[in-house]
Formats: sequence, structure tokens, C-alpha cells
Amino acid sequence: MLTFQELILELQRFWAHQGCLLIQPYDLEKGAGTFNPATFFGALATAPTAVAYPESCRRPGDGRYGQNPNRLGKYYQFQVLIKPVPAKIIDIYLRSLKALGLDLKKHDLRWIEDDWQSPTLGASGVGWEVWLDGMEITQFTYFQQMGSIALSPISVEITYGLERIALYLQKKDDVFDLDFNERFTYGDLHRSQENQFSRYYFEQADVAMLRRHFEDYEKEATCLVKAGMPLPAYDCVMKVSHLFNVLDARGALSVTERAQYIGRVRHIARQVINLYLEQSPCAQAPIHA
Amino acid sequence: MPKDFILEIGTEPLPARFVKPALEQLLRKTEGACAENRLKHKSGKYCGTLRRLAVILEGVDEKSEALSQEVQGPSARLLKDETGAFTPQAAGFAKKYGIKPQTLETVSTPKGEFLLAKVDIPGEPAIAIFSRILPAIIASLEFPKSMEWEESRLRFGRPIRTLTALYGKRVVPFKLAGVKSGRLVQGLEVYGGKPAALTEPGRYRLVLKNLLVIVDSEERRAILTQELQKTAKQLGAQLDADADLIEETVYMTEHPVPVAGAFRKEFLELPAPLLSLVLKKQLKFFPVREGAALTNSFIGVRDGISEGQKLVREGYERVLEARLRDAAFFITRDMAARLEDKLPLLERVTYQKDLGSMAQKAERVGRISSWLCESIRQQRPVKEDVAALVSRLCYADLVTEVVKEFPELQGAMGGCYARHDGCDERVALGLEQFYYPVAARTPIAATDEGALVSLAGKIDSLAGSFAVGVAPTASADPFGLRRQALGALRILLEKQLPIDLDEAFVQALSLQPVGLDQSQKSKILRQLGEFVWARAAAFFEEMGHKSDEIRSVRLDGLKNLPRTFRRLAAVHVVRRDPDFEPLAAAFKRAANILRQAQFQQENGGGSERAKLQDSAELAFYDALTSIEGQVRENVYHDGFEAGLKSLVSIKPHLDQFFDKVMVMAEDPELRRQRLSLLARLVGLFKSVADISELQGRS
Repeated sequence: MLTFQELILELQRFWAHQGCLLIQPYDLEKGAGTFNPATFFGALATAPTAVAYPESCRRPGDGRYGQNPNRLGKYYQFQVLIKPVPAKIIDIYLRSLKALGLDLKKHDLRWIEDDWQSPTLGASGVGWEVWLDGMEITQFTYFQQMGSIALSPISVEITYGLERIALYLQKKDDVFDLDFNERFTYGDLHRSQENQFSRYYFEQADVAMLRRHFEDYEKEATCLVKAGMPLPAYDCVMKVSHLFNVLDARGALSVTERAQYIGRVRHIARQVINLYLEQSPCAQAPIHA
Repeated sequence: MPKDFILEIGTEPLPARFVKPALEQLLRKTEGACAENRLKHKSGKYCGTLRRLAVILEGVDEKSEALSQEVQGPSARLLKDETGAFTPQAAGFAKKYGIKPQTLETVSTPKGEFLLAKVDIPGEPAIAIFSRILPAIIASLEFPKSMEWEESRLRFGRPIRTLTALYGKRVVPFKLAGVKSGRLVQGLEVYGGKPAALTEPGRYRLVLKNLLVIVDSEERRAILTQELQKTAKQLGAQLDADADLIEETVYMTEHPVPVAGAFRKEFLELPAPLLSLVLKKQLKFFPVREGAALTNSFIGVRDGISEGQKLVREGYERVLEARLRDAAFFITRDMAARLEDKLPLLERVTYQKDLGSMAQKAERVGRISSWLCESIRQQRPVKEDVAALVSRLCYADLVTEVVKEFPELQGAMGGCYARHDGCDERVALGLEQFYYPVAARTPIAATDEGALVSLAGKIDSLAGSFAVGVAPTASADPFGLRRQALGALRILLEKQLPIDLDEAFVQALSLQPVGLDQSQKSKILRQLGEFVWARAAAFFEEMGHKSDEIRSVRLDGLKNLPRTFRRLAAVHVVRRDPDFEPLAAAFKRAANILRQAQFQQENGGGSERAKLQDSAELAFYDALTSIEGQVRENVYHDGFEAGLKSLVSIKPHLDQFFDKVMVMAEDPELRRQRLSLLARLVGLFKSVADISELQGRS
């Protein structure tokens, strides 16, 4: 039976064998592995790419003070991005599950229609949730658009929900009981963090400060776009996106205000995308780690 | 010798809802393309799953039919130039049809002489035809949503990964989206998609069965239903055989195998609609019932074989437990406060940017429903306090955790929470059924109070949307106004409510928070009336009424819908009377005369017998007078059929009148008398139907 850290190791080993570049998590807060520049710019660039990485994701609103066995304000994803898409991609994915010790003959594996959309990135994709005996363990998406621009070539993004797979493999019902390795549980590492960050996001966060920072980074992004630097400008997009998530969790935004904030994030994301595409992405390295 | 043909498009998993429509198109388009290419076959069929779309044609000729064709070309003068050489036009024309210019003939037509090419198109081998037509057929299939995945940028429901095409024992060679056709078919995924070679089309089902794929959807449906029933029986209970879920499961699996499981009994205390939704919608499990009540068992369906059933069952149960625990958590939070206490939160929920919050909408619904109650107080007294409470609380569940998580439970949860709060059962039922009917054939709200508030909600939505100019278009109906209008009509008809819908819209429009002047208001009311009448007309037509019959009762049609429906029924019956149709023609003539004379009933001042002269008009006068009272009496008591029949009896007199009497007499007084006589008749008819709308039987 795999511990949590072995699960990540196995996936890294498997995808490295498939020719993926293994990179490390990007050092900014993000709501999903898709926000990592390796995926964001990777999907836009025209050069072939194959990259895999674990990523921690922050969803301030999903925090439950460390009290809910299934919900977390911060959790892990394992993300794979490949293009052009190998014809046997589903087969390769199934072999990755076998590499984790799953004998698929003894399980029910289902592909449930689930198209992905990110209003803030103007991005959309077509794909599935993969269910293992009823539990969603993976998001499997063919990106179609980014910044409302039709992508070509198309990339496939495979996102493993690591906690869910570990719950399944370790036959546990509570995420905090997962064995991270032989000595530590997931709860040892995360329970206090979950608790304190829930209190911070829901009760403590300084709304005025968050709004101010949102505006600062928004301005900075626009300046950086003018200066022709899409990579640092995109860091600002990640920043404002996270600040928005915290404001939202804090309950600080009315319905109309919420829509306005989303529009502002989308606006600067769009500028960054346009700039990146203008700078002839085929000449650029597709991977920014 | 004719041979069978098969095409299988092997895909990554298609959404269940895509499969059947795609299969129907595939068969239709393949047969169509064969016919276009004069390639004959005996019969065609399709079969498929989420991973394969297949079409099979039986008895396909080896070659298409040869064809001799005469094609007319450019003018005959263009055959040769002055030097006697073929002109470029003539040579080009001949070349286009693959013949020598020497063989061109001429043909004379009324437009002149033209060149004529006699072309013999030989039969083309079937295999060559299929190679040519298949890529275009596949590329032309349409899906609710399509995608790209490779460099040719073909669009399809999901990526195509294999193409299997055989004519007899031979592969039909072609290439599409980077895939070359062949004879391999893939097996069940959990077995690693092990492929097998297909030797001929007739063995397709069998070969796939050996690979554990049941490719025929009807066979899959039969196995699924039978196995589900068997499993339910083993549990000693009945299957909740939800038709939509069965359909979805048929196309979501290649080899369905039921897996029975159970959850903790304490979750049975969750509201039944919520429990059922978690099982069916979230996890695609079939609930199991004892009588009407849910039991703590369920049946999931796996796509595979029955190896490791225990593992799968444990997995299902663990996921279900987590989902039910989530649901229970939401319910506990919701029940901590009464529904009534959640009302202030509705002020923060926007209904539509120009129409205010949900709290404001609830307020309007309250006013409209109290107006509705009052307008029928004489005929149909209802418990007005119940209606008032239902309208006050009808949107309160929108701010509950459960409805935020599962929007489709709006209404149902309102009912549950009201019962928990100890409300009157009629209030709870009214809340539960506020959004009824949810579909064309599902029931409307059961109680009168519930039906009136439900109606008020729909009237407000319609009036509001038209007031701010977000009425539905041909392609977009974001607020579901067509469904709401139809719901309102069904409530009026099924509950037999004598409500003046035109007047109700006047009331509802005056409550909308939008500044409108009188002319804007009348315009909106007219549009609303037309929109709702169009729905009514469609509804009546579905019930078997002809569109001309429906047009004949348009006048005051929305003023009392149940009555309109009875008028319609009477027209439908009486029009079969042999005298009726000629009468309709005579009626039309009468109406036309009145229109041309610009005759208004009010300046008519009635007709007096003493001022009439001709015996025919006197007879007509007497006949009309003798039935008039009876017809009015009939109409008053909704005896429209009897009323119409009496009117039909006037036909001979009306005919005589038109034969013998000149309506537009010189003498203005006499003319006025005659016109008002006709006006009496027309008015009498129109109280039932404007029969000039009825078209003759052709």
C-alpha cells in the first residue's frame, strides 16, 4: 500500500518514463494546478511539450477548520500536460493507475462527461471526470481555448486528485488519517494549518488590505504588460486571483462586486495572453517553471 | 455477389447523451451517400456504445449501377472554329465528361441548338465508393458539443482512436484525423482494451461479445433491466427504475453489471428528494424501495465483469457515505433556523438586475396571488391565509445550503423545511409544488392555494421579463419563459380557474420596478398576450385541434381559458355538421359586408321588425329572434355546442336573405336596419367562435 509521498513518487516515476519533464511546484498561491505557468503558457505555446508536477492548491472557501474528513482549504494535485496528444493517451493513463497498484479488472472505472471552464482565464476544455468505484480521482481535459483564443495544437491536461486516490488506496475515510509516510499522517502535517487558515480566511483577513493589494497587483500587471514582460505580469494575475478568492471566502463581496472582480482578473489575464502570443510563442521555450 | 458492409468509429468515451443521436445520423447519412452513388443495399442498422459508433449495411452490391447520361453543354455554334478545329469550349466540355470531342452530338431545344455529351458512367466498385464517402460522412456527424484534438482539426464528440471498415472480408481503406482504417476492434477497457480482428461484418456482435462488449443497445438494455430487477428481488425490495437513469446507463456502459450496496439507516431520515438526488444524479445509483419508501439499499452499475464485486461495493459505499454526510451537514445547518428567519437573506439575492432582489419578487408574487384569489372569490373561495404564507415563503429555500448545493431541489426543500418548522401541510405542499409543472407531462400543484401562488410566480416572471425587454428569442430563453407560460396555462385549464389572464398581466406589469408610460405598457401587454396565446395555440394543437379552430376562439381567448377550451371543443364537434361549412362561408360574407360598410354595432341601435320589408328578411329576423335568447342562455351556461347548433339552424334563412335581399339598399334607414340584423348574427357567433377563420375541408 502506497503512502502519500510514495504516491507522488510513483506518479513522477511513471510520467518521467513517458518522457515528461518533472518540475517542482511553482512558488505562488493558486486555486488549481492549471494556474501554474507551465500549464498556462504551456497550453498557449505552439512547441511540443510534456511536463508533470505536483502542486498544492489553495481554495480558501473550501476550508473547514480541519474538522471535515473530505474538505480542505489546501490540498495537492498531480498535474500532467502533454501536446501533441499521444493517440494512446487513455491507455497510458490507465497504465499509470496500474503503476499505483490498482488492478483495473477488479474495479469500476467510468468516464463522466465534465467540461472544464475558467471564467477568469477565459479558458475552456472538453473532457471527463474519471470515477474509480464511484469516486472522482482525475480530471482529464483537452484544452480548447485560452483567453478566448482557439488553441492549436491542442494539449491534454491530466489532474490527479492525490488525497482521493490515497483515501482509496489506503482504505481510509478521513483525509487526516492518511499515512503521509510511515511516521507521519496527513493530519500531523496539515490539521493546524487547516484550522488556522480557516480562521484567517473566514474571520481574520483584513479586507481593506486585501482590496488594496488587489489593486496594487492589478496596476503592476498592466505596467508589466506595457513593459513587454508577460512572465512577471502573469505572477500578478496569480496574485490577484488568490486575493479575490480570499475576499470571497471572507464574505466581503456582494454579488455584483464579485462579478466585477472576476471581470478585472479576466481583463488582465487576457492582456497577458495577448502579449505572450504577440511575442511569437513558437520561438519561446514552452515550459516556464 | 452482394456483401455486407460495416463501419465502426472507435472513440474515447462519448457522453452517454451523444451516442444515440450520433448513431441515427450515421445510419441515415451512410444510406443517403450510398443512394447518391447508386450503390444498392438490402437493409441497414446501427449499434453502439459510448466507445463505438457502428453502422452495418446488409447485401450491398459489388458495384454501383452503371448510368447512361445525356448532358447538355454550350451552344452548338461553339463546336468548331472557322478553321474546323474544336473550340476550347467544346474540348473542355468533352474533357469534363471524359469523352472525345468527336463524339459530341447536338440537340435542338426551344432555346436553340446545344452540344450534347452522351456519357456512360460505369459502375464503381463498392469498396472504392466507401473509401471515398466514409471520411466525409464521419466528419459530418453533429454533436451537442464537439472538440478538436489533433492537427487536422477535425471536430467530433470525442477523439477518434480507431476506424474499422470492412466490405465483405476486405478492409475499406481510408484515413481520417490521423487514423488509418483496419479490421481490429477494441475490447472492454478494464481488460486493457484487448483488440481482436474482425473477419467479416456479420461476426461483429459475436467478436465483441468475446471481448466482453455488448454492442447492441437493446440487448444491453434488456440485460441491464433484467439484472437490476433480479438484484432488487434478491434484496427483497423493488427497483426504482428511473427511465432517464436506465437510458443513461445503457449508453454509459459496454458490459453493465449491477452491484448492490447499503448505507447507514440513519441517512433515511434525510428528505427523500435529497436522498434520491444524491443516489441518482450524483452517483448514478438506482434507489431501492419498499412500497413508496426508500430503503437503505442501492444498486450501482459497473462497466465490467463481476470480478472484485466486494471491492467495488466498498468503494461505492464509501463515496456514498461521504456524500450523504455532506448532505446531512447541510440539512443540519439549514434546520438550525426557521424558513421564516431566512427571508432577510433574500434581499441579497438578485433576481434580475432591473427587476430587483428575490425578496422583491416574493413581494410581487404575494400581491399577484392575492389579486388572483380575490378575482375568483365568488366562484372558487380558497384559504387566502394559506396562499399568502406560501407566497411569502416560496423563495426562502433559495438561500439554504442544500439548494445552493443542489439547485434542482428548489421547492422540494422549501416543503421539507416548512414541515420541519411545523407549518400547515397545505403550506408545505404549496411550497413543494411552487415550481410545478417541471415538465410537459408532470403534474401541476395539487391544492387550489398552491396552484394560485404557482400561477402568480409565473405571471410575475413573464410580466417582468417582457417589461425589461428580456423576452425569449427563437434561440434563447434563459428564464424558461416558454415553460412557465405553458405551466400557467395548464394550471388554469386543469384547475378550471376562470381567471382573466389579460387583466392579471395588467396587475403584474404595474408591480414591476420599471418606469413605463402608457403606450409602452400597452405594447408590452400586447406582446405578452401574443406570446402566451402562441403557447396556448401550440398546446391546443398538441391536443388535436386544428389551427383554424384555435384562431376562431382567439377573441377573449385569455380572458377565461377553461371557457375558451370549451368553445374550442364545440367548434370542433359542430364543424362536422354538413350545414356548417356553407354557413361559415355565408358568415364570412356577412362579416365582410359589415367591415366594408364600416358598420359599428353601437351606432346600429338594433333592428326593428316594422322597418323591414322583404319576406326573406322578415323570416331571417324571426328565425334570429327565436334562437337568440336560447343561444345567449346556452353561452352563458357554457353550452357552446348547443349554442352553435342553434346557430346552424339559421342557415336556410340566411341563405334566403342573401339571395333575395340587397343589404346595401339606397334608403339609408333600410340599409342600417339590414346591417344591424347581420351584426346581431355575427355578434352572436363571435360569443362562441369567429367561424370566418375556419377553412374549408380540402
